[in-house]
Amino acid sequence: MHIRFRAPALAVAGALAVVFGVIVSAGQATPYRAPRGPDGKPNLNGIWQALNEADWDIEGHSAGPGRVMALGAEDAVIPGLGVVEGGPLPYLPAAAAKKKANFEKRLTLDPEIKCYLPGVPRAMYLPQPFQILQSQKHIMMAFQYAGAVRTIYMADQTPAPADSWMGWSNGKWEGDTLVIDTTGFNDLSWFDRAGNFHSDELHVVERITATGPDHLNYEATIEDKKVFSRPWKMSMPLYRRKDKGARLLEFRCVEFVEDLIYGALRKGAK
Amino acid sequence: MRYRALAFGAALAAVAVMAGHTVAGQSPAAPAKKAIPRTPDGQPDLQGYWTNSTYVPLERPDKVTKALYTESEFAALVKDAASREAEQTEPGTVADVHYDFSQFGLDRSQSAFVKNDLRTSMIVDPATGRMPPLTEEGKKRAADRAAERRRAGATTDAVQNMPIGTRCLIMAGSGPPMMNAGYNSNYQIVQSPGYVTILVEMIHDARIIPIVDGKQAALPASMTQWMGDSRGHWDGDTLVIETTNLNGKNPFRGSSEKMKVTERLWRIDANTLGYKFTIDDPGTWTQPWTAEAPMTKSVGPIFEHACHEGNYGVRNTLAGARLEDRKAAEAAAKKTSN
Amino acid sequence: MRTKHVLLALGAVLVAAVPLAAHHAFSAEFDVKQPITIKGTLVKWEMINPHSWFHLEVKDPDGKVTEWMIEGGSPNSLIRVGVTKYSLQIGMELLVEGYRAKDASNTAVGRNFTLPDGKRLFVGSAGGPDAPPAK
Repeated sequence: MHIRFRAPALAVAGALAVVFGVIVSAGQATPYRAPRGPDGKPNLNGIWQALNEADWDIEGHSAGPGRVMALGAEDAVIPGLGVVEGGPLPYLPAAAAKKKANFEKRLTLDPEIKCYLPGVPRAMYLPQPFQILQSQKHIMMAFQYAGAVRTIYMADQTPAPADSWMGWSNGKWEGDTLVIDTTGFNDLSWFDRAGNFHSDELHVVERITATGPDHLNYEATIEDKKVFSRPWKMSMPLYRRKDKGARLLEFRCVEFVEDLIYGALRKGAK
Repeated sequence: MRYRALAFGAALAAVAVMAGHTVAGQSPAAPAKKAIPRTPDGQPDLQGYWTNSTYVPLERPDKVTKALYTESEFAALVKDAASREAEQTEPGTVADVHYDFSQFGLDRSQSAFVKNDLRTSMIVDPATGRMPPLTEEGKKRAADRAAERRRAGATTDAVQNMPIGTRCLIMAGSGPPMMNAGYNSNYQIVQSPGYVTILVEMIHDARIIPIVDGKQAALPASMTQWMGDSRGHWDGDTLVIETTNLNGKNPFRGSSEKMKVTERLWRIDANTLGYKFTIDDPGTWTQPWTAEAPMTKSVGPIFEHACHEGNYGVRNTLAGARLEDRKAAEAAAKKTSN
Repeated sequence: MRTKHVLLALGAVLVAAVPLAAHHAFSAEFDVKQPITIKGTLVKWEMINPHSWFHLEVKDPDGKVTEWMIEGGSPNSLIRVGVTKYSLQIGMELLVEGYRAKDASNTAVGRNFTLPDGKRLFVGSAGGPDAPPAK
């Protein structure tokens, strides 16, 4: 309900504001309702980016030294409160050992270093923007990092035909929330640079809701019986990029990692 | 779905006439009467799965002077090409060293293609059906590039010596201009308010074309990209895409990084999109030139083409070449010590 | 039967215009001088790009088992006609004619993939869109 106050009626306005203020503080605030797009659905179109340190480590973590001495403070781990809800990640015992090994060997094992596709949900909180493009049958998410793409099928839904890095996503609207159910992952991507990982039984359910004209609330529930003893959830705000002329640029990183990956096989290499 | 040649030609000509294009070799016809479907925000609806797989070459073949084949000539060419794609090659020959494309459905004859495009070339301007002559600068650039390739050594010496498609950097389907990729030559077009997005199957490139209302600034000349910087606007019911700021690392038939590509995309009927591109690169060709390559309805889905991630081929090729180098070195050492 | 095909002058230019194998120099990776025929059981089919990979367990006459990795085509066209990761049965027997990799590993490119009854894989029978899924 939207009440308009005329300026001269300040006293009345003041009284009414107190009344409504009381109602608001009693917890009956109306949630933000995103404007509808031309297709009648909540309009989530735009260029978005997370503003946190989840890509370093999705769990709460302090600052720490980086992986490459020559990069000094530029490669040092940026501290973050973490995006995982409800305590440490519930790894099964064997998986916990693997996570530890991943962390110790992250310089050679982290797929992001080799410009491999980031997987889900990592793509959503990389330190690079992504764009949501909404059509009736498909919602595309295009990521600046490595030109990664997610196709969210809103109609003609099928199970995943084969495994992929970005998974196979089927979506639907629940009121103002976009709910995305993704399966069909391979076991090759990580959740972050700290070695948090999953198997090919990963199942992700995401819920995306606009909380204001320039903010989305993003939640992802992770389920993976081969790795975790129970499902767990992460959540974070996503922010609209409001820079003048904001657009995705090309981060075609394959050519930046060719020597890293193939350099030892170059003729004359030692 | 088969089209009678005249019907396709008439439709192509009709919409071409309406959109103010010229299409070589087509007969004039009455304007299309069917309303074009529209997206919820009123844009012409180009959405769906499309393929530009075709048997039409970019340039008119050497011994051909006419603009159109007859239906039976075209049918014979397609049949011959299809049988060559499916034939079992001579074992023990280099041509035999690859998996059978037709077994995986990767040959053109198992893909949809615009069946009654009888043209002898995609190029419609110049009327010769061939690219215009190169400028002196264009000739020099081609010579310099060839010299650089020779200087770099064998393709098996280093990954950077291999074709950019083999390196999983970019493939022909992206361009711009968007060309037939040989196989998996598919596109998914998705329209959202203010944008037309063309997802190119290989290598999962999303061309996000903003519909410019004058407010989106072009990239400065110092910023170049593999697919350049594309800006779109509607000319009637035709999407016009203008691209500049190419980085020159993926030259199109010898182009420079100053090439400007203007593409036009429009709906001809339920199963066909018209696609036309003009190359404007005065540093390479003596005049701009234009080609048409319509797209036909394809089947989804487009599965993730994670190329770099699965690129065992580069590793295996380099490892094999290094092994051969070692064997050759050992053989040479043996010889000198004998 | 394998016959050399006589090329029509026009047709040759048509096909030459399309880069069928431009993205991958097969003969640089695999050795034309090392043709091979492999019979084994399928333990994994990686439906990945740019090429899919069939993992076969091959038992030699002494009973020793080696695992071979055989390169096949991009799975994208197969997926378009309904082939999925469940279409091929793990444990099925495959016969592969191809060429060994130059790097001396147990790797090869599969020129032809056939089933024990001689039918070609994916062509109208097992794994094709007409076949019931193996899952």
